[in-house]
Amino acid sequence: MTTSHFFLTAWSWNPVVLGGCLAAILLYLYFFGWQRGILFLCLGLAIVMIALASPLSALADGYLFSAHMAQHILLLLVAPVCILLSLPRDLSLTTKANWLFHSGIGWLSGVGSMWLWHAPTFCNAAVSSRPIYALQSVSLLIFGSLFWWQVLAPREQDRLSPLPAVGYLFSACTACSMLGIILTFSPVRVCAIYMQPVDQLGLLGLIRDGWEMTPEKDQQIGGLLMWVPMCLIYLAAIFSQLVRWFSPPTPALRTTIVSRNAL
Amino acid sequence: MNEAVTTVAPGDILSPDERSHYRLAWLSTVDHKRIGILYLLTALVFFVLGGIEALLIRIQLAVPNNHFLHPDTYNQIYTMHGTTMIFLVAMPAVFGLINYVLPLQIGARDMAFPRLNAFSFWLVPFGGILLHFSILAGGAPNVGWYAYAPLSETPYASQAGVDYWVAALLVLGIGSVGTAINIIATVLCLRTKGMTLRRLPLFTWINFVNAFIVLAALPVLNAGLVMLLIDRQLDAHFFVPTGGGSAVMWQHIFWAFGHPEVYILALPAFGILSEIVPVFSRKPIFGYEFVAGSSVVIAILSLGVWAHHMFTTGLGRPADLFFGIASMLIAIPTGVKVLNWTATMVGGRLRFDSPMLFCIAAIMQFVPAGLTGVSHAMPALDWQTKGSYYLVAHFHFVAVGLIVFAILGAIQYWFPKMSGRMLSERLGKWSFWLMVIGFNMTFIIQHFLGLLGMPRRVYTYPDLPHYTWMNVLSSVGAIFMTLAALILVYNIIVTLVWGKPAADNPWNAWTLEWATRSPPPPENFHRLPPILSRRPLWDLVNPDRADPVVGSPNDVAARPDKNKVNILAFIFSEIGFFGILILSYLYYNAQRPPGPGPNELNLPKTLIFSACLFASSFTIWRSEVALRKQKQGGMIAWLTITIVLGTIFIVGQGMEYFELFEKGVRLSTNLFGSSFFTLTGFHGLHVCFGLIAMLILLWLAFAGDFRKAGRASLLEAFGYYWHFVDGVWVAVLTVVYLLPLLNR
Repeated sequence: MTTSHFFLTAWSWNPVVLGGCLAAILLYLYFFGWQRGILFLCLGLAIVMIALASPLSALADGYLFSAHMAQHILLLLVAPVCILLSLPRDLSLTTKANWLFHSGIGWLSGVGSMWLWHAPTFCNAAVSSRPIYALQSVSLLIFGSLFWWQVLAPREQDRLSPLPAVGYLFSACTACSMLGIILTFSPVRVCAIYMQPVDQLGLLGLIRDGWEMTPEKDQQIGGLLMWVPMCLIYLAAIFSQLVRWFSPPTPALRTTIVSRNAL
Repeated sequence: MNEAVTTVAPGDILSPDERSHYRLAWLSTVDHKRIGILYLLTALVFFVLGGIEALLIRIQLAVPNNHFLHPDTYNQIYTMHGTTMIFLVAMPAVFGLINYVLPLQIGARDMAFPRLNAFSFWLVPFGGILLHFSILAGGAPNVGWYAYAPLSETPYASQAGVDYWVAALLVLGIGSVGTAINIIATVLCLRTKGMTLRRLPLFTWINFVNAFIVLAALPVLNAGLVMLLIDRQLDAHFFVPTGGGSAVMWQHIFWAFGHPEVYILALPAFGILSEIVPVFSRKPIFGYEFVAGSSVVIAILSLGVWAHHMFTTGLGRPADLFFGIASMLIAIPTGVKVLNWTATMVGGRLRFDSPMLFCIAAIMQFVPAGLTGVSHAMPALDWQTKGSYYLVAHFHFVAVGLIVFAILGAIQYWFPKMSGRMLSERLGKWSFWLMVIGFNMTFIIQHFLGLLGMPRRVYTYPDLPHYTWMNVLSSVGAIFMTLAALILVYNIIVTLVWGKPAADNPWNAWTLEWATRSPPPPENFHRLPPILSRRPLWDLVNPDRADPVVGSPNDVAARPDKNKVNILAFIFSEIGFFGILILSYLYYNAQRPPGPGPNELNLPKTLIFSACLFASSFTIWRSEVALRKQKQGGMIAWLTITIVLGTIFIVGQGMEYFELFEKGVRLSTNLFGSSFFTLTGFHGLHVCFGLIAMLILLWLAFAGDFRKAGRASLLEAFGYYWHFVDGVWVAVLTVVYLLPLLNR
């Protein structure tokens, strides 16, 4: 199998994923009607599709730890952002479970799901068992949404104020970097199942010889993905918070603008 | 225009009373202004020392095959030069400026913790003396300022120099952490009314952000240093490959500190440029928000990209790739800052006084410094040039071209405020031009020397084509720089004696430090102008053309409690320290080293005394609740129970240590022993400090101190510390005791 052949054919049109995405669009239309936010929703769902139906998911399915990590990042940190951005700006989710929207819970669900799913036992289980794999994917989306809710909730008053949000994101970035560092430099294999993949698709030759991807390199890339690009996502979010902080609050207060000419 | 009315004789830093006992007045001072000046004077003394070392290096390298210095002496001198210039010159100079200027800029009376401030300062001369004492104790350290293991380990460096180096850096590191905590508490808690965080002058804002990098980076170095010291003194094996340790681990720890350290010095320089350039361009800074925000981004990025210092250690292609790209990203926020400063100058009415000249030169020299930095982010190029003078030229362009020039500009700028006298502009220009010529002569040519292949850290070189004239040129440049430094020192001395008095606001600047006398009275301000924007003095003088109000006009936000801020900042720094110890424990025990391992540990007993420690978190909280309800008795009772529980934990840990000793498990046995005792030992030390603090609190409680209003925050702040110590034990218990159960 060649690389291009693999990328063309390895799409799995999983009916559950497709159905889920379709249902999400219909639900959105039912509740909020047609509005611009739906573009964000479609983008988010496209990212979910990339994570769960594309060749990436085929690679993550027992072949490459790094692909699994990319999938993890997309589901936890990218797709929820798009989904939250798609919501109407006046939506509030005041339910009985208000504790869910506490910043501590948000932080723990973002960072905790990262750490927990990379404990060797859970990591191996998610690859070898379909139901656990499904559970993992759904939980990542939910936990990711809870994490980002603190920063991107539709209503201003539901979000953390900018400087605490910087602390929130920075500490999450540090906690994930720690895990990334451990994965990158660990002399032991964290997710042992990727060591000897069950070669269902006949891909192993391509991966090991064509792409020169050894299990050691694979784990290193996985750790680095978690360490560097993930932190850049947090960093971009931090930057957005700083922009929010420095942007003038209301136009009414800017009536005193005067000429700023040189002396 | 506020060409202020002051033409009276200059005020004095010391009051007439103090003049009679001026030595004591300086030695015992807790005033931020005097401590700032002491910092700057200390930096100046060590600048002279480090400068002499630099001159010796340049004399040695002036001609090929030179025997002016013995090779070992050369190693000692370049080690001392690097260590001195970074830890004893640049950091104290920056801290001195911050100490002096920052409280004035936010309209505060002093730093948040004046005595901590004095303590942090006195650690600098103490550390400096400790470092230089090694010369008497058998030779200065000779392993470079980076002290790469295993060459810094006993088998390769048996003399005491390295031990003094470690001890000195630990002392200086602790002082820096103290200063950083103080800066954060000062900015958060002592801002005057109206000075919201969004109205902070950029110098203050950037140094506030910078204090967080200090808190994140210095403890990492401290953790590495104690590991190295334990290796050397107690025969542990952290960085000795023969004992199973990892020399690359030292590099990771050192550069996890060392890379942010560059920014710890560069960010204050950015702050200085952002302060001086607008004043001498007669325009507000272009893009305040970007300069302020990008400083945060730079600070965070700087913490995560240290691995680009280690491309040559063989991290593997993927790591090189990721870190190459991440390192290049820093160039974006930094590069745009250069545009901010230039855009500020465009269309302004520029005044080329010496502070501005130094700043313009700093910006111009920072551009090539940054560009050669980006070139080092490419692993392939880095492999070729890392060990050469190309790298020496690069970091001297940053450290001198940007940082020293900015500091010199800042000294010229704030000297009138500090002394009440104007430095001679004529001498200032002389020293500026000699410095620019000397600096560029010394270091531009070193880029080419490096590309020709001249290796760094070597005491001499053969007579190869072009080497000689290039090195001669470089050494002649050093003489120019020496002249510039001498003129600067002469200028300062002459000005202090005969200088012409300075007005309160000689540069027509806009920040609050210029709203008081020169030099300011001990209480700093008698009255402050209203603060509605980032340039209160501009608004005061030009009410018809005042700057737009920043944020909502009323500053209603309460200032946080400084005790709590102090402890939280301290905890932030401790996370770095314990983080390194825990990560190294994980790393060293990932592949079970031969000999004793976690199996020797007594888990049931440990769980019992751990339970006591965890329970003490609850009891300290009950104690706080009792105090809040004003029940003195209850507070004392709960505090006593907390002390008892903490003591049980320590006794339990002592018993465990005793059992392990009986079984023959020592620090020196194997990596498990080294990492186990270091990690749990430092945690135990923190418990002990907590116990001492609680005994003091108990004593205060018996003395009735807590009956006074507003004392509750003291106990709550301590509570944070105690919960943190417990939290660390949760991590230690998990990693050391529970994790091995999974693998059984």
